[in-house]
Amino acid sequence: MRKVRWWQQVIYQIGLACVGLFVLLPIWGMVYLAFDGGIRGWPTMFRLWPEQFTLSVFREVWQRPYQDQAFLALLKNSLLVSFGAAFLSLVFGASMAYAFARYRFPGRTAGLFGLLVGALLPAVALMTPLYILLSAVGLRTSLFGLTIVYTAFAMPFCIWNMRAAFQSVGKELEESAFLDGATTLQTFWWITLPLSLPSIAVAALIAFLIGYSEFAMGWLFVDRSQNVTLAMAIAGIIQGNALQSWSRLAALAVMMSLPVVVIFMALQRTLMDRWMFGDIND
Amino acid sequence: MKKWWLFVAVLLVAGIALGLRLQALRLLPIDYDEDDYLGAAQRYAQALRAGDMGEIISYEYNFEHPPLTKLIVGLAIAPLPEAPLLPEQSSTMPPAGELPQPHFNIARTVSVLFGTLEVLALAILNPLAGFFLAIHTWQIKYTSQIMLEPLPALTSLLVVLFYLRSKGKLNGWLVLSGVALGITAAAKYPYCIVGVAILADWLWSNRVQRMAGESEKPGYPGSSRPVLAWILAALVIFILLDPRLWAESLSRLIQSVIYHWDYAHSGHVRQAGFPAWQPLVWLSMPVPWHPGLFLFAWDFLITLLAILGFQRMWRKQRVFGLWLAMALGFLLVWPTKWPQYLLILTAPLSLAAAEGFMGSVWAPAEKLVKHWRDARQSRHLSAEARANRAVGWRDARRALPWLLPGMVGLSLIALFPLIFQGAMALTDFNATSIRDGIQGGVWRAAWQGLTGQEKPVEFDVLQGSRAKQVRYAGPGLLIGLLSGGVAEILVFNVIWTVLSVTLQVILGVLVALVLSRPGVRLRGFWSAIFILPWAIPEFVGALVWLRIFEPRYGWLALAQNLPLDVSSPSWFENPNQTLLILLVAATWYGFPFIMLAALAGFKLMPYEVYDAAALDGAGGWRLFKHIIWPLLMPLVIPAIIIRSIFAFNQFYLFIALRTDYPLVTFATLSYYLFAPTGYFGGQFAVSAAINIITVIVLVVLIVWFNRVSRASEGVTYA
Repeated sequence: MRKVRWWQQVIYQIGLACVGLFVLLPIWGMVYLAFDGGIRGWPTMFRLWPEQFTLSVFREVWQRPYQDQAFLALLKNSLLVSFGAAFLSLVFGASMAYAFARYRFPGRTAGLFGLLVGALLPAVALMTPLYILLSAVGLRTSLFGLTIVYTAFAMPFCIWNMRAAFQSVGKELEESAFLDGATTLQTFWWITLPLSLPSIAVAALIAFLIGYSEFAMGWLFVDRSQNVTLAMAIAGIIQGNALQSWSRLAALAVMMSLPVVVIFMALQRTLMDRWMFGDIND
Repeated sequence: MKKWWLFVAVLLVAGIALGLRLQALRLLPIDYDEDDYLGAAQRYAQALRAGDMGEIISYEYNFEHPPLTKLIVGLAIAPLPEAPLLPEQSSTMPPAGELPQPHFNIARTVSVLFGTLEVLALAILNPLAGFFLAIHTWQIKYTSQIMLEPLPALTSLLVVLFYLRSKGKLNGWLVLSGVALGITAAAKYPYCIVGVAILADWLWSNRVQRMAGESEKPGYPGSSRPVLAWILAALVIFILLDPRLWAESLSRLIQSVIYHWDYAHSGHVRQAGFPAWQPLVWLSMPVPWHPGLFLFAWDFLITLLAILGFQRMWRKQRVFGLWLAMALGFLLVWPTKWPQYLLILTAPLSLAAAEGFMGSVWAPAEKLVKHWRDARQSRHLSAEARANRAVGWRDARRALPWLLPGMVGLSLIALFPLIFQGAMALTDFNATSIRDGIQGGVWRAAWQGLTGQEKPVEFDVLQGSRAKQVRYAGPGLLIGLLSGGVAEILVFNVIWTVLSVTLQVILGVLVALVLSRPGVRLRGFWSAIFILPWAIPEFVGALVWLRIFEPRYGWLALAQNLPLDVSSPSWFENPNQTLLILLVAATWYGFPFIMLAALAGFKLMPYEVYDAAALDGAGGWRLFKHIIWPLLMPLVIPAIIIRSIFAFNQFYLFIALRTDYPLVTFATLSYYLFAPTGYFGGQFAVSAAINIITVIVLVVLIVWFNRVSRASEGVTYA
């Protein structure tokens, strides 16, 4: 590789700084609002930094982010729904993923293809019929109903990912367990599952994130403010009739996004690989 | 024997074309401009009868279009008894309610004649292409009305056909081609794009021959003599056939060109509010204004086949490919609100569609039939296959208990809802009949309809049905959507996917290229920053951009109004600007993903490759094109596929920025149509039908992508 000369270094750094500006400037435009106490509705003046720096907006948002709900209540709903979706996807999906990883049964390719389509389907395509069907069984407006909807979005993706994880566990290990007299179930439970736990955790994390950051379906299904999640609260602030404060919106967005950003930063390579689906035929 | 069949086919196609056009002639209402052209033709007829050449030369009305077609129509109606002259209105006035007969029908017959001849000419080259041209509804409409299009459409095809016969050498065919080009220019200017295509084709083959070292051979056709003769013939004929140019040629020519430039950029065209890609929308749907008039509504299919067959056509006859590409480029760049401009490319489009049919439908079908026959002949399974099958069934028995929980779960929350959605799409289910629908009305209506107990009801998709009961509406909705009912959305969705992913890939790969160069400082710092948009939840990312682009209070709007509150920017009113904003936001959100994939790819790439290439003197662009990109591509293709499908389904960005129809994706449209509390929501059946279309498109995309990614498996992804 040729050496980078000093003037090349300068050009590269300037280019990277331009991209950095493109990335950071919009984020800053939102973030500084959270520290500006003076904004009641939309911002009406052009600024690059807060007029009067304050943390009071965060305090406000912590107490009453949306209507009469406390932040912790919203967070609780969010966690309930997203953990519920992740949990259901794993419990119902794990054994199916194992079957796809270990057996060559007729219809396997078609099944995998179906899972792939399911994983790549836009959420709206499932939302329409689920809305009617959940209304019919009277579950639509409950948090459990919302959990079911998010499970439907996340499950094919989780199955697909766990299959890859199970496949990467060596067959030899399982075979030696069989030789020692273990049943298939025992092998799965004591050998394969623990070995692929990290990958499964990542699949669960992604299922969790789907539920955590979803709001549009939520607003369709939920009609009581006790059942509103964090993401829904943010969307509610801009879509509500009363013009709500953008400072509070920004503060809420920051508080909601920060943990997600941290997770992504920490696990970037792994998350990246999970999103690649790989080939059907492996 | 074969020749005889071809002859019959050509005649048949021409017959179909003639029949369809004559029917359209009879049924089509009077359109814009028909009265203007007929009025002009009446004056020409008068002048022709009186032998008044001066009047023909100096006639001013409708000067923006060259007079040839109007003259020919005038010639055709000259022998008829005179009718009261039509007023010389501005061409933007609404059409007259009634026009004098039989002048009107005779004038339309002239169009039909030229239109049928064009089909005949194309059918001689390729009968299937001729058939597609014969049934293309836009082609039928504008070659059955008094329009300027039929003559130049015919002659522009002849230009190419004669040029192909001449093989680029100076001979009678080439002169004929030039003559045809002259007629084309004298009939309507935009059709001359065909001449540009031929020039490009000629330059191209010259370059190829020069590279092959043929220029030293005697008789090398690369001299510019043939082309100059061709241009000369065209110019002479052009001036001969445009009497207005016999006096003050240059100033009048400039005058008409300036008129078109001004018109294209006038408020009149802009008011129509069409996005730049509107021609693509028209190409994806049949003529919408005359329901029931056209026997075939296959326009969308023709366009689809043309896309599939473009490469094949290019390989066979490059000049048609150039013609199609250049004409399309012209349509996209030149702002117009008139769909008749499509006729500058319908001929090559039909040819591409014919190639697409042969390559993508006929050949695979033939193969399938052959395969099926072979399979039937060797019905007895080999021992190996039987053993495989036994293993398969044993595996199935073992896998079943493992599959069961997932199957039950997925059937309940995904498969069953999708089937239910299919049933919904067959009914008129909406917010008024929600009570009945929830209590099983959807199943009842779909069942009764499918078993023939009930006739499908008609319902207005926009108004919705007012019935309290869910009723069977038949597959009409799905068929309508599939044959171009939401062409605007489909075209936008495809353009959106292609453009946004392309931008993401360019920026992502570029950044990765810099970041992976050893010696560049602060690499970790920069890549940590660049990942941010990817890590932020999508709708928060969309809000960030709403904060900037909001037309009244956004950052940019406020920055523009810094000194004084002047006028607010209106980027959400102009579809082209809206697209630009969406693209900026999508690039911001999507490029880190590509960057990460490319960075991972570069890690696997051996640096010796760079060095070897650099030693050979390859640098910059050539290094990238021939070394880096081919090595990198298989590694980033999975990421590109994922991003493409995301872009196709993109939802939160459109919800947050609240873009208007047609600047939404299928998913967004379906959401708006569904939301029972929304402004035009509650259309459950329509929303379900759109979702079904989305699923179909997605399945096709995934099958295709799967093939692409398997084709690029040269380097395995570690």
